[in-house]
Amino acid sequence: MEEIVFGIGITALAGALATVAGAAEDVESDIGSQGDPNSQVQLAPQMGYIHRIFNKAIAGEPPAYGLWVALGAGLAWAFMAMQINPILAIVLGSALAVFVQGIYATTAYLGRTASLAKFGQPVYIDILKSMTTVTMAHAFVAIFTTVAMCHLMISALGHPFPLPLLGIVWGIALGAAGSATGNPFYGKERQYQEQKFGAGVPISASGNIVRYAEAGQRNSLDNGFFSAKLGGPASGICFGLIVFFELWRTVVFEELNIWGPIVVGVVVILIFAIIDRYIEVWARKNFGPYTAPEEASS
Amino acid sequence: MSALGGPKQTGGVQSPTAIGIVLSIVLIVVALGLAYFLVQMAGVLALVGIIIGGVLVAFGVHFVPVGGAPAAMGQSPGIATGVAMLAAGAGLAGLFGGAWAAPLGLAVALAGGAVGGGLLMAITCTMVNVIYIFGMGIPAASGKVAKDPITGDTFPEYKSQGTEGHGLPFISWVGGVIGGALGGLGGTLIYLELLDIYQAQLPVLLNATVEQIAPVAISLAGIFAVAMFLINAVLAAYNITGTIEGPHDPKFKRFPRAVVAAAVASAVAGLFAIGLLQLVGVF
Repeated sequence: MEEIVFGIGITALAGALATVAGAAEDVESDIGSQGDPNSQVQLAPQMGYIHRIFNKAIAGEPPAYGLWVALGAGLAWAFMAMQINPILAIVLGSALAVFVQGIYATTAYLGRTASLAKFGQPVYIDILKSMTTVTMAHAFVAIFTTVAMCHLMISALGHPFPLPLLGIVWGIALGAAGSATGNPFYGKERQYQEQKFGAGVPISASGNIVRYAEAGQRNSLDNGFFSAKLGGPASGICFGLIVFFELWRTVVFEELNIWGPIVVGVVVILIFAIIDRYIEVWARKNFGPYTAPEEASS
Repeated sequence: MSALGGPKQTGGVQSPTAIGIVLSIVLIVVALGLAYFLVQMAGVLALVGIIIGGVLVAFGVHFVPVGGAPAAMGQSPGIATGVAMLAAGAGLAGLFGGAWAAPLGLAVALAGGAVGGGLLMAITCTMVNVIYIFGMGIPAASGKVAKDPITGDTFPEYKSQGTEGHGLPFISWVGGVIGGALGGLGGTLIYLELLDIYQAQLPVLLNATVEQIAPVAISLAGIFAVAMFLINAVLAAYNITGTIEGPHDPKFKRFPRAVVAAAVASAVAGLFAIGLLQLVGVF
């Protein structure tokens, strides 16, 4: 019994760390414009819309986060093997991984933006100086919490994978959950705010992103501020729920029966099916069929 | 017709060519023969398991509703990320659960892997709909079919002008969970087969007990399982090209090609994973 209570505590802590990781990951990728809507940031100058938005997508979020978290976890693992205190080791490992992320962000921004020179898009050095550190800070939070969560899974719950391997697994899962959940909010709601609410963006409006904010030209810090309202927390909840349910069903129900975690997993999937169906019907009822705006906005 | 003069891109069935199938069978037979040469019957059985696992992963990827960048702007239905990435995320979460349950036997571990992958997709797909509905105010509408085959909901009147649909209809949600479950199942199967091989070979090679070599065996099997997962997921993504809504999408019918290709890729890559220790022994 005591073991189960300890396990639940660790599960809750891991879930909380994952929630913070998911939120930080989404805000980081929106500031850096690394998620899927980045194609619009890249496309905008070609359509004649010069902007001041950071653009660092070279690979997608999941492989990028797989790399950074695995790097942080690998370095932390090496430091722990050198008898350094685990907490200090995780902080040091994550900090070193963030420098790799910073180099990646710098070269990606310069390379991607320079390739748009023929469309008149300048490389803004002030953007590079102010945004890189902000994405690095968010990336540190995401990497540190994920590595700490992986360490808990191994040291307290006894998962057989070594720390770097678990870093790859959960780094990719973190990027997948964050990019799936947070991207539409940034892509549609932030980049296309002049479009009608309650409708998708017409394909003809591609590249026509919003470039001006409340106070002057929009930059990526505005995007971080906006994403932190819903996209980030939703990504955090998504990743937190994934980690929590994966651990919780195993820790609590494995003692009863070896098939316990599987049965509980299926039940949880069915509960999410009901929730999804409920909100789908709710949306159809409350929003109703699509009506074309009187004046086309694009 | 593409600019390079390739075959016309169709949404429907694109069967594998005869020469492709013959070449695939030859490669698989050669790989099985080499596996027998390297690790005898255990190697052949493990390679068959790896091929089945790889095929499951590639097939599962076709179920996952992926919309990429257009989905991020509500221009097409699906999840706003790449095919390979999302499928890999789900499958790896399954592998995490499957590896944890490995000491409890093959059946429990495989079921654990499948449920782990399915659970990740169930939560992700639900949260995707939460964002579409409460963040963007868009109800789900498919652009490929007029009616949801499961719920019977009609879509054309909910589809915004100038888009190919948006959100995640229920059929896509179900497809995502099935895809995640198949991915988790396939990944876990590959991991368990490789773990068996390494646990049998490493003690002899290193002159140590099974307990002593456990961390090395688990790490090696895990790394190869992750690698095989990415190979098959990326391969399936090339077959899908761009976006897919799920099992009701006409592109879903393309899966036979990916299944054949995944079987060959898994056989060849799996052979290297199985024969790794023999190769190390030779040098």
